[in-house]
Amino acid sequence: MENKVTKIGYYPGCSLEATGKSYDMSVRKVCLRLDIELEEIPEWSCCGSSPALKMDGLLSRSLGAHNLALAGTHDISKVVVPCPFCFRRLLSAKEELQQDQALKAKVEEVIEAEVNDRVEVHNLLGFLRYNVGLEAIRDHIKKPLKGLKVLPYYGCYLVKPADVTHYDDPENPVSMDELLDALGAEVLNWDFKTECCGASLAVSKTDTVCELSGRILREAAYRQADALVVACQLCQANLDMRQAQIGKQHGTQYNLPIIYFTQLMGLAFGMLYKELGMQRHLTSPKKMLKSKGIL
Amino acid sequence: MLRLKSDPQEREFLNQVIVKSGQNLLECLQCGKCSGSCPITSERVRGPRRLIALILSGIKDQALKDQTWWYCVSCGTCASRCPVEINMYQVATVLCEMAESEGIKSSEPGIHLFEELFMKSVHKSGRVQELKTVMQYNLRTFNPFKDAVPGFKLMLKGAVTPADILWTGASNPRVARIFKRVEKIRHGE
Repeated sequence: MENKVTKIGYYPGCSLEATGKSYDMSVRKVCLRLDIELEEIPEWSCCGSSPALKMDGLLSRSLGAHNLALAGTHDISKVVVPCPFCFRRLLSAKEELQQDQALKAKVEEVIEAEVNDRVEVHNLLGFLRYNVGLEAIRDHIKKPLKGLKVLPYYGCYLVKPADVTHYDDPENPVSMDELLDALGAEVLNWDFKTECCGASLAVSKTDTVCELSGRILREAAYRQADALVVACQLCQANLDMRQAQIGKQHGTQYNLPIIYFTQLMGLAFGMLYKELGMQRHLTSPKKMLKSKGIL
Repeated sequence: MLRLKSDPQEREFLNQVIVKSGQNLLECLQCGKCSGSCPITSERVRGPRRLIALILSGIKDQALKDQTWWYCVSCGTCASRCPVEINMYQVATVLCEMAESEGIKSSEPGIHLFEELFMKSVHKSGRVQELKTVMQYNLRTFNPFKDAVPGFKLMLKGAVTPADILWTGASNPRVARIFKRVEKIRHGE
C-alpha cells in the first residue's frame, strides 16, 4: 500500500479539551493510523456554541469567522471538526457571510480580518466516511468487531437542519451505519438516530435532559444493543453521565456503554482500550467488549 | 390573526422579527409539525407553533417573555420538517436580542444564567472552561453538590481532573477584542 499522507486543519473545540477528551484522543490516534496529519488551527477559539447563537447573532458569526480567518492565515484550506455543534457553527458562519455582504462587512470590522469563505469545513464522520472512504478504512482493520451489536446515534447537530449542514439525511442518516458495518459490527436499525438528547440544557434543565436522554436509553435497551455509538461529545456526556440517574427514575439499570465511533475504529485497528480513552466512560464498556472477544 | 390586515404600526414587531431573522413567518401554515417534533415543547413550554402565532398576532410582550426560545436547543428539527422551511433557532436569537435590549427579565433565569456564565468564560479565555462554568452555575444556584456524584466518578476514572475546575485559562486578547467590538456596534446602533 502506498503511503500518502493527507494534511488537514483540525478544530477540536472546547469540549474535546475537557469532558470530550477521549473523543479527541481517539480522533488523533485513528487519523494518524489512516495517514491523515491533523494540523490544529493555532490559537483557535470557542465557536460561541449555543449560548452565543441564542444571545448574540453578530458575536456568534464573528467567533465562527474568526476561526476560519485563523485557518486562512495559516494556509489551511480544509478543516475537519469532530464536534457537530462547532461543525455547524463554522459552516453556518461561512455560508451566512457569503450570502450577506452587509453582514460580512460588519463581521470583518469586528474580527479585524478578512472573512475567509474559501475554507472547506468538514465534519469528522463525513470526512472519514466519504473523503477517506470505507475501502481505506477496511484496509486498516486488524480485529473486526464481530458480534458487536451497535446502535448508531447521530444526534441533531450533524444532520439538522439539512439546508445548513448539507450532510446525510436528517431523518434517517446512514453514514455511521455504513462505517460501523465496514468495521464488522452488527448495526441495528432504530428510529431514534436523530432524536434530541437534551443537549446544552444538561446543566440548567437536568430534568428535561433526563427525560429526553431517557427515551433514547429506553429504546436502546429494548433493541438489546451492546453499545450506543455517538459522534458528539455532548450526546456522550448526557447519555453516559445521566445514565445512573435516568435508570433510577425508570426503575432499572441500563449499563449501556456510550462509545465514540472513533473509539470503535481504533479497537478495530488493533489499538489499546486505554490509548483510546475508553476507561474514562462512566458506564464501562470493558466487560462487554471482553465478552465479545474484542478486548 | 393580524397578518393580512391591520395597522402597519401593529405589524412593526412582526416585520422586525422577519427582517432580522430572515425567516418569513408570514408563510407559516400553523400546521404544528414544528411543535409536534420539538423536543422541548411540553405542557409548560408552549412550543414554536404557538410562539409564531403570538408573533403573527403582534403580541410582543408575551412573545418576548415566552419560555420556548429560552428552552430552544437549536436542534433544527422544526426547520428540517417545516413545509415552508422556517428556522426557529434563528427566530430565537432575534427574540433574545430584543428582550435583552428592552430590558425584559428572562422567563427562564436558570438557562439565562448558564448561558451568561458560558459566554463570560469564552470572553475571558477565548475557550470555554467547561467544568468551571458548570461549577460556577451550581454554586450560583445554591446547589453546589448537584453533579458531585458523576463528577467524582469521572475524576476517579481520570476523565476530569481538579485542575479543570480550578485552573484559570490564559486570556485571549483577540477574542476579548471581538466581544468589545460587538458590544460597541450594538450600542452604536
